[in-house]
Amino acid sequence: MIRSDELRLDLTFAALANATRRAILARLAVGEATVNELAEPFNMSLPAISKHIKVLERAGLVIQGQKAQYRPCRLDAAPLQEIASWTDQYRAIWEARFDRMENTINQLKNKEQDHE
Amino acid sequence: MSENTLSKDAVVVERTFDAPAGVIWQLWTQPELFKTWYGPEGFSVPVAEMDVRVGGRHLFCMERQTPNGSMKMWSTGEYLEVIPNKRLVYTDSMADENGNVVSPTAYGMNDDYPATTEVTVVFEEQDGRTRMVMTHAGLPNGGQGAGSGWEQAFAKMAAQVETLTKGK
Repeated sequence: MIRSDELRLDLTFAALANATRRAILARLAVGEATVNELAEPFNMSLPAISKHIKVLERAGLVIQGQKAQYRPCRLDAAPLQEIASWTDQYRAIWEARFDRMENTINQLKNKEQDHE
Repeated sequence: MSENTLSKDAVVVERTFDAPAGVIWQLWTQPELFKTWYGPEGFSVPVAEMDVRVGGRHLFCMERQTPNGSMKMWSTGEYLEVIPNKRLVYTDSMADENGNVVSPTAYGMNDDYPATTEVTVVFEEQDGRTRMVMTHAGLPNGGQGAGSGWEQAFAKMAAQVETLTKGK
């Protein structure tokens, strides 16, 4: 149970860890839009935008309609509510900090080796 | 605050580093090393003053460059437990640049965000490796307040996107 929750959180965070995808979500927060409309503000090809939408879809953040021609996308905020608690936000911040801590440790080690 | 109230709304993050506890301790207690990792993504840490002894205080500044200039967030607090290479406990509150505690709402946080949170780090060294357990306690639970935190963030982004689109 906890594992699948965590997996879902991972997917959500991974989907959010990209400026283009956040901008797409922000656009969808105002109302549904077609892939063409979503692509418009970006200097990006349609396939590139479609790829981002796929990632958002996998994370359950975006639902793409089935109407053959337009297939408008809309936002599903449910996964966002899951990561909405302060504790989760802080967990992500601390995890990233400790990733950087790891980098510093490696740099310190390299320096030490240089001195040897 | 009892131990139980604290642990209820805590974030616990555990890591094992391939380095002795003394190195990890320095990363928490030496300003120049602390600055290398403490800023969240997109933030630098221009100021990290620390008087690491029981009753000593710290003053941290996290800075982010935005299109509207730089945004600085200051925090301060007191070291409650200082046991080198083993255990570090300090409080953390939002502050101004002079180290005066300010209300979290001054930084745009919801009013359910507590004035003071507490960070406890425990180090355990074995065979040159160190297991570190960090507990950030006193965070508000409830998704509600934070939900609106995200909503606010998305509202801001939506506004940004609109500006971008109009600017075309």
